[in-house]
Amino acid sequence: MPVARLSVTDLTHTFEAEHGGAVPIFAGLDFSVGSGEIVSIVGRSGAGKSTLFNLISGLLPPQAGRIAVGPRADGTPGRIAYMLQKDLLLPWRSVLENAVLGIELFRKVTAHDLERARHMLARYGLGAVAQAYPHSLSGGMRQRVALTRTLLVEPTLVLLDEPFSALDYETRLALEDDVMALRQSNGTSVVLVTHDIEEAIAMSDRVIILGGRPARIEQALDIKLSVEGSRTAISAREAPEFRMWHAQIWGALRGHSTQLGGLAA
Amino acid sequence: MSDVTLSTAPLPRRAKRHARRDLTSIGAVAAIMIVLVALWQIAAAHGWINGQLFGSPAGIVKTAQIALAQGTLVPDTLTTLYETVVGLVIGSGLGIGLGLLLWFVPRVSGVAEGFSVLLNSIPKIALGPLIVIWFGSDMTSKVWLAAISTFAVAMISSCAAAREVDRDLLNLFRSFNARPSMIFRKLIVPSALPWIFSTLRVNIGFALIGAVVGEYIASQAGLGHAVFVAGSLFDLNTVWLGIIVLTLMATLLTWIVQFAEKRIVTWKTKR
Repeated sequence: MPVARLSVTDLTHTFEAEHGGAVPIFAGLDFSVGSGEIVSIVGRSGAGKSTLFNLISGLLPPQAGRIAVGPRADGTPGRIAYMLQKDLLLPWRSVLENAVLGIELFRKVTAHDLERARHMLARYGLGAVAQAYPHSLSGGMRQRVALTRTLLVEPTLVLLDEPFSALDYETRLALEDDVMALRQSNGTSVVLVTHDIEEAIAMSDRVIILGGRPARIEQALDIKLSVEGSRTAISAREAPEFRMWHAQIWGALRGHSTQLGGLAA
Repeated sequence: MSDVTLSTAPLPRRAKRHARRDLTSIGAVAAIMIVLVALWQIAAAHGWINGQLFGSPAGIVKTAQIALAQGTLVPDTLTTLYETVVGLVIGSGLGIGLGLLLWFVPRVSGVAEGFSVLLNSIPKIALGPLIVIWFGSDMTSKVWLAAISTFAVAMISSCAAAREVDRDLLNLFRSFNARPSMIFRKLIVPSALPWIFSTLRVNIGFALIGAVVGEYIASQAGLGHAVFVAGSLFDLNTVWLGIIVLTLMATLLTWIVQFAEKRIVTWKTKR
């Protein structure tokens, strides 16, 4: 069994409410993500998805429990890079300069880095606009620049928080394919935090459903879809099992809402 | 890929429409000014208003010719321009630099901001006599008065600009393990630039007030000096001449700052 790219062990987190009380967000969360695996985390709003995102990305230190990033195949330390719904491109930098930002912030950018950046931009259809500024790009193109910036730091795990929800349907499918292609090209693992059930099913090997208060893992579903050839955003949605998974996840999320209906009101 | 098209097409058209609207409003302002000045001149020439108390356009032109011939107008203008610009650069420069650097020390930042709010609420003009006593009645005291008039505003707004930087961008930089000096250079300073320029534009007016009031208090030269002396002699045409030149000076300085802003903050203007 290879070492996990990400292992979350007994994660517990509590917010201090304004009136001094403690609001537990998670209690004893346990899961791991293997090499080249795509795992989605779904839950109703307020289930603590964003907090979990902040904990995994390291923006928030865990109060109890452990979040460990596994090493690369060659033993060097692994690395997490994330991408949000907002592309977070710097308006005063060109597309190319934005793409290499992650590298630039921890070491000098070499000619080789620039070459790699140009190459990757070209692969995402951005070769012609490498010198352009973000304001002249469409939403889908901007998000692809953000993806390039994320990937150029050579992460072992890419963490995505509703990354495509502001995009039109067609662009979203294309970007889902881009992300799914990552594991084939270099075994990058992906954790996707989303409320979009269809996106979670189409892209993931596993869907983790968060629910309850404090949130725990209600279910972890290994998504098996019968598709011809490799899975794509479209072929996955056309798979015969797709509706079944959708119904199951939807049911799990909704079951929760009726259960908590009295509390939320 | 289908979406690889630059959406630049609507931009030039929009820019052109903007330019046309700008030209139209400049034309309207000029036309209204011409009518008002003409009415003023007619009223003064026919004795409907007291030329002694109101001055007249023809009188102002004559005064300007005399001031130019006597060689007082140009040196006075240059004196005030020098005091304003040097004061603006020193005051805003120190304020902006300090305000931005305070980003490194959030604890000190609150205290320093409190002080600058205090400093900002002092009517700077009231400090005039002090400054003149400390720095004398030559240009130095006016430079300092102009600098003090602009410092607090510059510091408060650049402090706020550094603090208000996009949280998500800050987190992104942190997730890339950026050192604070990197975050400062590559995020804080560039995102504060638009604020800095708008502060500079506001401060042109404050610096000019500082310089002119300094000249009112004690001076041997400058437009403020000329206006003050002329006012006490009821020479309204010279007062008007001073006001007109000061207005032109402020407009010119604003244009220069706007021009620099357009060249440097390209990403804001293109939006």
